[in-house]
Amino acid sequence: MSIEVRNITKRFGDFAALRDINLQFSTGELVALLGPSGCGKTTLLRIIAGLEFPETGDVLFDGKSAAERTVRQRRVGFVFQHYALFRHMSVFENVAFGLRVRPRKFRPSNAEIRDKVNTLLKLIQMEHLARHYPAQLSGGQRQRVALARALAVEPSVLLLDEPFGALDAKVRLELRRWLRRLHDELHVTSVFVTHDQEEALEVADRVVLMNAGRVEQVGTPEEVYDNPATPFVYTFLGHVNIFRGRVHRGHAQVGAVEIDAPEYTDADNAPAVGYVRPHDVEVFREAGDPLAIPARVVRVQMLGPLVRLELATLSGGDPLEAQLTRKGFQELNARPGETVYVKMANMRVFI
Amino acid sequence: MSTIEDISSRGPRLSKAATEPALVRWALTALAVAFLAVFLIVPLAAVFIEAFDKGVSVYIAAITDPMALAAIRLTLLTAVIAVPVNTVFGVLAAWAITKFDFRGKSVLLALIDLPFSVSPVISGLIFILLFGASGFFGPFLAAHDIKIIFAVPGIVIATLFVTFPFVARELIPLMDAQGSDDEQAALALGAGGFQTFIRVTLPNIKWGLLYGVILCNARAMGEFGAVSVVSGHIRGLTNTVPLHVEILYNEYNFAAAFAVASLLTFLALVTLVAKAIVERKARAAMRAAASRRTSGGPHEH
Repeated sequence: MSIEVRNITKRFGDFAALRDINLQFSTGELVALLGPSGCGKTTLLRIIAGLEFPETGDVLFDGKSAAERTVRQRRVGFVFQHYALFRHMSVFENVAFGLRVRPRKFRPSNAEIRDKVNTLLKLIQMEHLARHYPAQLSGGQRQRVALARALAVEPSVLLLDEPFGALDAKVRLELRRWLRRLHDELHVTSVFVTHDQEEALEVADRVVLMNAGRVEQVGTPEEVYDNPATPFVYTFLGHVNIFRGRVHRGHAQVGAVEIDAPEYTDADNAPAVGYVRPHDVEVFREAGDPLAIPARVVRVQMLGPLVRLELATLSGGDPLEAQLTRKGFQELNARPGETVYVKMANMRVFI
Repeated sequence: MSTIEDISSRGPRLSKAATEPALVRWALTALAVAFLAVFLIVPLAAVFIEAFDKGVSVYIAAITDPMALAAIRLTLLTAVIAVPVNTVFGVLAAWAITKFDFRGKSVLLALIDLPFSVSPVISGLIFILLFGASGFFGPFLAAHDIKIIFAVPGIVIATLFVTFPFVARELIPLMDAQGSDDEQAALALGAGGFQTFIRVTLPNIKWGLLYGVILCNARAMGEFGAVSVVSGHIRGLTNTVPLHVEILYNEYNFAAAFAVASLLTFLALVTLVAKAIVERKARAAMRAAASRRTSGGPHEH
């Protein structure tokens, strides 16, 4: 089922949680709503689910307005950050809940319920824990049960609110890969909320970046990472070097760097900020390239397969971070205190 | 192999500076025990000693006296009406207050606390002023030959008023801590409002609810002040157990007074035990709710 979000706004008192949000989610897609806390992503998810209602705008499922439908009628699977498992019910009964509460006419027989639940427990690899209670499970197991419970009612849409937010790093990594595999098997349209950029980039087909109640950018993980549309996206996704300066008639002077900024030919000495990812900073031993600028190595940090260099440009002393592969670093062979030459392979300038 | 030092270092130990000399500790403990004995245990024992002072036959005669039996019946009737009514009200009020946001929420909260903050005698007087012969509804009631004051309805109404807050007060903090994620999950899974309440909310709050019901019942059966004002003390008709005890006592019929009082005391002891058990379970539910909330950071909306 496809979802369309149209002109959604939502306020909590004086706080504008969502400002005119328009989004499309196609059938079978796995989309991440990514943003810092307080950006409105959870509110948007809850509005899609029908747990919260917008002031203006509409949510459409398969092109049909869901404004008049309650959460019960929307047939969405919702997974809560803190699982919201029914603590007085066993794992089996938790998963069976959605089937047992159906009106008698539509309720499967006990045998059908048993088969269905067992199939789902197999899917989440927890058949052996069917009789356990939520309190006896680990966080990762609880979240898997919550997912199976949501899937039991065969929802047309799966909505997950920070599904891995309450888990420790290792379990989180395993579970998100598992979620991706599960999605590839089931192909149910899924939207999940996260503040973890790594999680969003790794798991999602598309990422919706949100900030302060607005959508900043929508795109595949590659698109949003390689071509951030706004300064916010640049700073939120991954590390970035920031240079302050000015743009004048299509030419930018930011920090010690001078580059062309053809998109700002009208700019008249406007303040601007240049963004460069650490892995787009090229480091040379010799001053060969006319665009390269001299910098002093402040610190060298080994990060597993990568090496992080902290640099300071000689002209202004602006701090700068470069990321090299181990091999690249061995070829460079630079030590703290030495002078190297850096070139920005890919800089974006925003006014 | 574990040595004595191992064992002693395992638990949290108070530093020397934080502990008092043995003499002081003993003195303080003795003082506390003595206080408890004088003000709680001795009176409790006195009730039973006085009750059986004139022998078992007098005791049995006192509590099987027709007037005593009538008082017991009335007290039970009052509790049977007041406790379920206030249980239903308490659950509804707690549900409304904790799961929804609406105007006048704080007013409702304050109103629920009102019976706690008003002296029971004043509570009784309120109903005299409303339903008494010269009260607000007095002429209307007299015209339709409805008796509330100095009759059973008055006693029930006064008891209802006084025991109003117990269940709601017990449930509000618990349901507040539990939040509404469970209910929202149930709704999203297709459960209706009533199904959600029966299958999800009620099991979540059952220990807190039971605790509130026990306290409500103890008060409903033991209430003196408010009931005394509206009852009129008509023997065999509008006397509850506490009022009956007072009458017997005023007639210098000490053995009988204490015999009937021992029934209330016994009720108190049963309540105490039940309360202790249920309270432990309720606390555990509260802790579980609290830890679930804090384990994953703040809730974003």
